[in-house]
Amino acid sequence: MNSNSIIVSNLTKKFSFSVRNTSSGWLKNLFSPETKEIVAVNDISFSVKHGERIAFIGPNGAGKSTTIKMLTKDRKKLAYQIGTVFGQRSQLLPNLPLTDSLEFFGVMYDMPEKEIKKRIAELVELFDLDSFMTQPVRKLSLGQRMRAEVAASLIHKPKIILLDEPTIGLDVVAKKSLRDLLLKINKEENTTMFLTSHDVGDIESLCDRTIVINHGVVMRDLPTQDLAKTFVYEKYIDLVALSHFNNFPELPEGMSYSSRDKNKITVVVDINKMSVQESLKKLLDLFEVEDIDVYNADLETVIRHIYERDSTSN
Amino acid sequence: MKEIRLATKILKTLVKDRIQYPDKLVVDTIGVIARCGILLILYGYVFKLNDGVINGTTFLFAVWSIFFYFSFSVLRLRDISGEIMRDIQTGNIEVLFSKPISYLSYRMWWQVGSGIYSFVIITIFATLALIFIMGLPSTMTMSIFIPTLILTFICGAILSLFLYSIVGLLSFWIEDINPVFWIVDKAVMILGGSYLPVALFPAFMFKIALWSPFGASQFVTHTVYETWQINWYQLVGIQLFWIVLLGLVVYFMFERAKQKVSVNGG
Repeated sequence: MNSNSIIVSNLTKKFSFSVRNTSSGWLKNLFSPETKEIVAVNDISFSVKHGERIAFIGPNGAGKSTTIKMLTKDRKKLAYQIGTVFGQRSQLLPNLPLTDSLEFFGVMYDMPEKEIKKRIAELVELFDLDSFMTQPVRKLSLGQRMRAEVAASLIHKPKIILLDEPTIGLDVVAKKSLRDLLLKINKEENTTMFLTSHDVGDIESLCDRTIVINHGVVMRDLPTQDLAKTFVYEKYIDLVALSHFNNFPELPEGMSYSSRDKNKITVVVDINKMSVQESLKKLLDLFEVEDIDVYNADLETVIRHIYERDSTSN
Repeated sequence: MKEIRLATKILKTLVKDRIQYPDKLVVDTIGVIARCGILLILYGYVFKLNDGVINGTTFLFAVWSIFFYFSFSVLRLRDISGEIMRDIQTGNIEVLFSKPISYLSYRMWWQVGSGIYSFVIITIFATLALIFIMGLPSTMTMSIFIPTLILTFICGAILSLFLYSIVGLLSFWIEDINPVFWIVDKAVMILGGSYLPVALFPAFMFKIALWSPFGASQFVTHTVYETWQINWYQLVGIQLFWIVLLGLVVYFMFERAKQKVSVNGG
C-alpha cells in the first residue's frame, strides 16, 4: 500500500499577461499586445505521507496558493478526500444554526442521512460544539466559528485537510485551543495536514515538517525543528548585570549588540566567525554579570533569514 | 440522484433561512406592491382615457401580464450575476470549487432557493387579491393555461439563469460587470413587458421581444393573451432554442473560466 497522501512530481505553472507598450499606439496595444510570462511554480516535487503535518510557507507571491490550487485542480475526484479551511473565508450558513451547515455539507458530500447524524455527533464531541450548536453562525465568536469551520471541513472524514491561515485574527487562547484540536484530529483520525500560514506559532506547534517555497521553487524541505539549527548561524546571549552596565565597549568581530540597557544586554554571535565558548569568554572579560542565557533565534527570525537570504541570492 | 438531493437540500435550507428571517419577505412584498401597484394605477388611467381598450387589449389582460412579470421577478434570478461576481472578487469561488459539486448548478439552485419562499407566498396572496379585485380573463380559465404557464415559467427560469450567469461569468475577464448587467437587465425588463405590456408593443418591437433571449425569458407575460392559445408551442420552442444555445455558451465560458481560477495565485 502506498504510504503517501500526496505525491507532486515536476509541477510547473507559467502564466502570461498583456503589458502596455507605451511606445505603441492604443490599437496595437489592444489587438496585438506584448505579453509577459511569469513562472509561478517551477518544477516542484515533493511527497506527503499519511498523517504527516506539513507547513507550506513562503513570502507573499512565492507560489504557495498556486501550488495548492494546482494540487486540487481535478477537484471533483479529489474533493471527497480533501477538507479545506480558509481562515479568512467562511463556508458556513450565517443565519442558521451550525447543525444546518453540517447537515448541508454532509449532503454535499453525498453522505447517507444516518451517517451524517453519526458524524455530527462525533464532531460535536470532538470539538466541544454542544454549547453553541443551536445559535445562528453569525452570532458565534471568531474562536467558536473557526472550530465550527474546521468541524464542517471534516464532516466527510477527509484524508487530507488544507488549512489556509486557520488562526488568523484569533486571540492567544482561541489560537491554542484550535491548534490543540487540530493536533487531536491528526492523532485520532490520522488526517494529513497541509498548512499555509504566516503565523510562526501555527508552524511551530502544528507541523513536524516545513517546506519553504519562494519564486515558485522549493527552497527548503526539512523537519521544522531543524530549521533553526540548519539555517541560522547566529546565537543570542543575554547578559544580566551584576549591578549596572555603565559602558558598552565595542565588541570583537563576530559579535554585535542586539539590545542594551543598564540592566541587560543581548548580544548576537555569528557562529561562523566565533564559537559560543570563545564569545562567552570575551563577554565575561568585558562585563560583570549575574546571569547568562544562550539561545537560538526564534522561528520567526529563522524564517525571515531564509526569505531574506533567498531573495538576495536570486 | 445526488444532484436532486443536493438541490432539495439547498431549497429546504434556504426556505428555512427565510422563514427564520422574515424581513426579506416583507421587503419583497413592499417592492412588488410599490412597483407593480404604481404601474397598474397608471395603466388603469391610460386605458380609461382610451375607453378601456388599447390595441385590442383590455386593462384586465394588461394587469395579469404585468403581474406575471413582477411575480416572476420576485424569484430574483437576475441576482445570480452579482453572486458570481462576488464569488470571484472575494475568492469564495475557491471554497466552492473545492467541493464535490458543480459550481454553476449549485449557484443556480441557490438562487432559486433564495427567492422561492417570497415567490410562493407573494404569488399566492397577490393572485387571490387580483382575482378578487379584477377577476380572471377568459384565457386563464382554459384547460391549456395552467400546464403551459408552468412549462413556460420553468423554461423562462432556466433561460434567465443562463442569461444572467453569462453576465456573471464575465467577471472572470472584466473587473466590473455592472454596465453589462444594466444593459441586459433593462433589455429583459423592456422586452419582457414590465414597463409596457407586450400586447401594446409596436410590430417590430414585438418581433424583437419574441425572438430575442431577453424577451423569451419572460414569455410568462404572454400567457394571458388569446394569441397564447394558438402560439404557445412556437414560443416554448423559441425558449428551448435559446436554452440550448445559451446553455452551450455558459458551458464553454465556464470551462475557460475554470482555467483562469487555477492560474491566479492568492
